[in-house]
Amino acid sequence: MAEPIHLTLLFAGGAELLFDRVKRRDVVLPDLKDYLPDCGSEKWTVRQLVLWIREFLLKEREALFLQGDEVRPGILVLINDEDWELCGTMDYELQNKDSVMFISTLHGSTSVTSRIELYTP
Amino acid sequence: MEQLIILENEIKELRKTLKEKELEMERVRRELFDAQPEYRDLNNGLPASANGPEPMVKCGQLPKWAIERYSRQILLRDIGVKGQTRICEAKVLIVGAGGLGCPAAMYLAAAGVGEIGIIDYDVVELTNIHRQILHFEQDENTSKAESAAATLRSINSRIKITPYNVQLDSKNALDIARAYDLILDCTDNVPTRYLLSDLSCLSKRPLISGSALKMEGQLTVYGYRSDTHSTEKGVTFRGPCYRCVFPTPPPPDAVGSCSAHGVAGPVPGVIGTLQAMEALKYILDMSPQKLLVERMFIFDAEDMVAKTVRLRKRNPMCAACSDSPTITHLVDYEAYCSAPANDKDLDLKILPQNNRISAPEVSQLLKQKEPVYMVDVRADSEFHMCHIVGANNWPIDGLSGDALEQLLRCVEKNPSSVIFICRRGNDSQLAAKKVLDMLPEEHRHKVKDMIGGLHAWAFKVDNDFPVY
Ligand SMILES: [Zn+2]
Repeated sequence: MAEPIHLTLLFAGGAELLFDRVKRRDVVLPDLKDYLPDCGSEKWTVRQLVLWIREFLLKEREALFLQGDEVRPGILVLINDEDWELCGTMDYELQNKDSVMFISTLHGSTSVTSRIELYTP
Repeated sequence: MEQLIILENEIKELRKTLKEKELEMERVRRELFDAQPEYRDLNNGLPASANGPEPMVKCGQLPKWAIERYSRQILLRDIGVKGQTRICEAKVLIVGAGGLGCPAAMYLAAAGVGEIGIIDYDVVELTNIHRQILHFEQDENTSKAESAAATLRSINSRIKITPYNVQLDSKNALDIARAYDLILDCTDNVPTRYLLSDLSCLSKRPLISGSALKMEGQLTVYGYRSDTHSTEKGVTFRGPCYRCVFPTPPPPDAVGSCSAHGVAGPVPGVIGTLQAMEALKYILDMSPQKLLVERMFIFDAEDMVAKTVRLRKRNPMCAACSDSPTITHLVDYEAYCSAPANDKDLDLKILPQNNRISAPEVSQLLKQKEPVYMVDVRADSEFHMCHIVGANNWPIDGLSGDALEQLLRCVEKNPSSVIFICRRGNDSQLAAKKVLDMLPEEHRHKVKDMIGGLHAWAFKVDNDFPVY
């Protein structure tokens, strides 16, 4: 059996609003074979992590976190304080004690908020 | 009381006179200095060695007044006389005279940046003043760009300040930007951020980008390029642009919204101040490794945590900043992002006329003791600030699942109208629509959205209701 992976998940810039306003969570990932036996991967990557987050942590408005299986544009993903583009984005293989941060870009408006999921013209 | 009113009026008159005199002085100053560009402020007071006796002292390239005035920063090894000369010759464009633009402009003016342009189409409101520190109570309803310029002039009369009382758009942006060396993004919406990033790429001016909301702030430098700092291969160093990091705009989430987000004044204060710092460092030609190039500063005031994270490098295939860009001119960014660059005119109409009601009509129903049920869909923090007596808080953010079911039962049970209320009448329509879509036909006529929201209530029914 593989060693369990302990992660620190960080949500910021408003992304925490989708996760019960909790900005930091220390989690232990289950054995990938138990969670996604058919995913075709031996090791946890960010691709499986976002699905796991969607299933177990995301509280509302999925469209503001994921578009399909991709992280929504406007959310920057940082792995150990580095842009995930520098380490393989979705294919980054998670290591024990990694920190993964999902930070929404601040538009900085004091009068506009997110409502797209309600608006169906 | 009478004495107070007399004093208030006298001060008002004096301020008017003061403003006229200041404008006159600015005009005279411009005539003097703009007519002789080689004789700009910097030379004002230099010992006239050509005709007069040899000067006894040497002040480097700077006149006595500048040495004295800027001495506390000239003393820094990173600045010195050479650096101060660069600062005095620099031209900085600040887009947005708000929470970020005010402190940024303040420090740049105080540091002696030769020319500062400041753009804002908006007017000063009292709700701005807790964070927009160049504006004062007496500036209410005046142009933010003008108000900011006036304060900046009283901080430093030796520099040139140009206010632009316009909304920056794809037509006017290039002409304005060409007169400056670098751009500060102190704006607050996605379309303007893409506009400024493309403007930065097209005009080859770096963009120092700040943002602040609630208790959080972010800061980075986009579109950096420098001829003096090159990579090991001898190529000009270039950092990523906004599009390299955010190639796709986020979903148009500003559509149909009217909720107010708060911001703690010191947060844009910190970020705006640091934007000024990065601007000075760029002007001083400090190396890109020292600037926030390929790095982003993230600030969380609630937990008082600040960190700098590493961003990706410039994308050699980027649509905007690559060597063969597909974006070769500025476009319509509101359409591109499907979002308005300001939310002033947002006026949603998604409900049929018979599901809408005016604020005075609601007031009438309440006076007649009709058993109306008021559904205030704002966030609880807004609701607690002020609400119509008898209203019930159903925050739109939580209006799904069980809460939505409960509200539906509530509407069905209520014998009379159910009034949906929010700040400006957009969110309430979205909430009402959500309920209407799930409500059995026979109850639908009861659902009413209060047109114009609490703003309309304040203007048409109760002037004592706070407008925020
Ligand atoms: Zn780019």
